Amino acid sequence: MRLPALALAAALLGLAPTARLGAQGAVGQPGAAVTGGGGGDYRSSTTEAMGDRLFDVNSDSIDMENGSMQWKGRTFNLGNSRMMRARFERYLAAPAPAQDSRRYLDVLQRIESLLAPNAINERTWAPNQQAAFDLLFEAARYEQDAENSLTLASQIRKVWEMRVEFRNMGVNHNQLEALRKRQEGVVINRQEQQELANDQRSAQSAKKEKGGALVKSTAGSAEAAARAKDEQKTQAEIVANQARMTALALQAQVEFQSQIVQHLLARRYRHCIIACAFYRVMFRSQNQNVRVGAKEVKEFFPISDYVPTLESLDGLCREAIKDVDTGLRTTEDLMRQGELYGAFERLQETYFLGEHEPSIQSFDPAKKRQLLELWRDLRELQRVGDERDLANVDQYLNQVAARARDFPAAAVRSKVEAARAASNMQILAAQQAAVSGDSAKAEAALERAGKIWPLNPAIRDFASKAIARQDVLAQKVPEFDQLHGDGKWRDIFNRRDEFAVALIQDKDRLPKLKAVVTRVGEIEAIILQASSLAAQGNPYLAWDLLQRAQAIDPNDIVLARTRSEIAPLVAEYARLLALAERMEKDGHDAAALTAWMSAQELNPVSEICGAAVRRLAARVASSGAPAPAPGRDPGALEVPEPPPANR
Amino acid sequence: MAKLNPLLLALGIPVAVIGFVAVVLLSRQGGKFADLPPFSPETYRKDWATLQGNAYVLACQVDRQLAFTEGQARILAVKPVDTSRGAGTLPVRVPASIVANFESGQRYNLKLRVRRDILEVEDLESF
Repeated sequence: MRLPALALAAALLGLAPTARLGAQGAVGQPGAAVTGGGGGDYRSSTTEAMGDRLFDVNSDSIDMENGSMQWKGRTFNLGNSRMMRARFERYLAAPAPAQDSRRYLDVLQRIESLLAPNAINERTWAPNQQAAFDLLFEAARYEQDAENSLTLASQIRKVWEMRVEFRNMGVNHNQLEALRKRQEGVVINRQEQQELANDQRSAQSAKKEKGGALVKSTAGSAEAAARAKDEQKTQAEIVANQARMTALALQAQVEFQSQIVQHLLARRYRHCIIACAFYRVMFRSQNQNVRVGAKEVKEFFPISDYVPTLESLDGLCREAIKDVDTGLRTTEDLMRQGELYGAFERLQETYFLGEHEPSIQSFDPAKKRQLLELWRDLRELQRVGDERDLANVDQYLNQVAARARDFPAAAVRSKVEAARAASNMQILAAQQAAVSGDSAKAEAALERAGKIWPLNPAIRDFASKAIARQDVLAQKVPEFDQLHGDGKWRDIFNRRDEFAVALIQDKDRLPKLKAVVTRVGEIEAIILQASSLAAQGNPYLAWDLLQRAQAIDPNDIVLARTRSEIAPLVAEYARLLALAERMEKDGHDAAALTAWMSAQELNPVSEICGAAVRRLAARVASSGAPAPAPGRDPGALEVPEPPPANR
Repeated sequence: MAKLNPLLLALGIPVAVIGFVAVVLLSRQGGKFADLPPFSPETYRKDWATLQGNAYVLACQVDRQLAFTEGQARILAVKPVDTSRGAGTLPVRVPASIVANFESGQRYNLKLRVRRDILEVEDLESF
C-alpha cells in the first residue's frame, strides 16, 4: 500500500491527541496499569448510521474483464481476469483443508472475545492483550491463516516496543524537566543575590558620600549567565524529546492502521476485525480515526463525505463475513434444487467476496467438483462463443444444459441460430452478387458473413466454388471460342448455362452467346410448335414451320432430326418445296413458281407458298423477254418428244 | 304451200341436230391452234428445259390472276381442262399485247411458247 508519508506526518503532527498521548505517558504494555480510558471506546453510532448508506446499494457483481468485484458499492480489485479465473478454478479443484476450520475459527473467536469491549477493564487490559497475542501464534499454525496472524503479532509486538521506548522517553522527559526547574531556580537565586549585593553597595555609598552616584557591582554576573545558559540547553533538550515522542507515537499508529487496511483490502476480514480490536485496546479513543491509507479507503467507500473509522471497517468486515455465509447457504440450497448454474454464480460471487474465509475454504469438495465440471463446460462454451464457432456451440450448450437445468440455453441457442441465419443470408447475398458479376458486393457480403460466423462451412464451400469457377472460366472460354468458330450453335445452346456463368463478365463473348442462344432458342420454339402441329394432323403446316427454322440454321441437328421425322408425312410437298427453292435459287422463277403452286395445292393455307407465289409471279410478270437459260442453248437441245396424241 | 312429209321431218331434224353438234365439236376440237401439239404439264414440271422454244396449245380454265404488271404482262393461274397429261395449276404469262378480260372460270385455248421456263401466251381463243 502506498502511503503519502510527508503529508500524512504533517497532518498528524498538528493533532493534539497524539501530543497528549505522549505527555500523559499513558502508553503501557501488557501487565502495566491502565491510566485513563485508553481501553478503547467501542460505543459507536457511526456504524449504525453508515450502515444504510454503505450496504444498501447495488447488488454484487463480478467484472471479469477488469478483474474487479462490486460488493455493496465497494470495489475489490482482484487482479486481472486470467488470474481471477485461474484462482477460482484452482479453488474448485482444491481438496478440503487438512485442518479443522472450526478449531481455527474457535481460536480467532477467542482472540476477539479477549479483546471485546466487555472483556477489557483496568484489571484485564494487559493480561487479555497478552493472551490474545499468544493465541495469534496458535492461529498462525493453521493453513487457512496463511500466517497472517504472525504478521499481525509482529505488528503488535512492535507497538509494544514502541511504547516501552515511549515510556523511557517520558521518564527522560520528566528528568529533564526537573533538571530544568532546578537550573531555573539556581539562575533566579543568582540573580536575586546579585541584585541584593548591588542594593547593599548602593546604600553604603550613599552613607559615605551624600549625594554620591549609584554604584553597581558586576561580581557574580558571569556565573548567572552560565546558569541561564544551562537552563536554556535543558529546555531545548526537552523540546527535542517531545518531538521524538510525538513521532514515535505517530509511527506506531501509522504502522498499525496500515496493517488494518491491508487486511481489509486483502479481504482478510477476520484479521482486520482482530487488528481493529487490538488497536482499540492499545490506543486511546482519541486516536480511533483511520488516518493511514485514507485515500485507498475512501476509494473503497464511494461516498464523498466519508471519514473512515475503525468501527466502519469493523462493521464492513462483519457484514462481508455474514454475506459469505449467506452466499454459501444459497449455493448449497440451489445445488439441492438442481440449479447448478445459479449455484455456480452465487459461489463465484461469494468466493471473490471472501475467498479467505474458513467457510469458503471448507466448502464441500464434492460439490465444488460438480461445479468445476460445469465451470469447464461453461468455459468451453464461452470459448467457442468468443471464437464464434457456432457449429460447436450446440455440443457445449447441451452439456451445460444437461448439468444445470436453470441455464438459459434457449436464449443462447436462439441467438446462435439467429447468428447462423444471418451469416448464411450474407453468403447467399455474396453468391447472388458473384453470379451477377458484382465482386465488390460479393466480397463485402462474404466479409460480413465471416464476421458473424468465421467458421461457417458455407464460406468454405463458397470459396471452393469460387476457385472451381475460376478453373471453369479458364476452360470454358476456349471451348466457347472453338464451338462458335465451328458454327456449332446447338452445342453452345445446350451448354448455355455453364457458358453464361463463365462469360458473365466477358464483354466480347457474352453478346455472341446471347445471339446464339436467341437463334437456337427460336429454332427450338419452332420445332416445338411444328411437333405439336404434326401431332395434331397438320404435317404441312408443321413442315412450313420447319422450313422457317431451316432458314435460320440449316445445320441444326435437332431440326434435321425433326424434319426427318415429319418428312414421310409430306413427302411430295417437301419435294415440291425443295424443287421450288432450288429453281428459285437457280434463277428459274417460272419453274419455281410452278413448283410453289403445286405445293400450294397440297397445302392451300401455307403462308410460305402464298408468299412465294406472290413474289415469283410478280417477278415473272415484270421480267422482259427471258434470256436463254444459262448453260443451256435452246438450239442445242434435243427435240422434245411430241406429247402423246391421246386426245 | 306443199306440206312437208312428216316422216322426213321426223328423220331430218335429229340428223340436222347431230350434224350441227358434230360440226361444233369438230370445230372445237381443233380450233385455230389445231396444228399445235397439246401442252403436257407433266413434262413441263419434270423437265421444262426440254420444252424450251416450243409452242403448244393448252386448253385450260382460268383459276385466278397471280400478278399484273402494267405495260408488261400478267400471270394467270390456269388449270388444264384435259388432265391426262398432267394436272395441277400452271402459271402462264400473258403479255400486255394480248388484250382480254380474264376472269376465273373462263376457258381458253392458249398458244403457249416455252421461253426458258416461262409459259408465254402468244395467242388465245376462248371456248
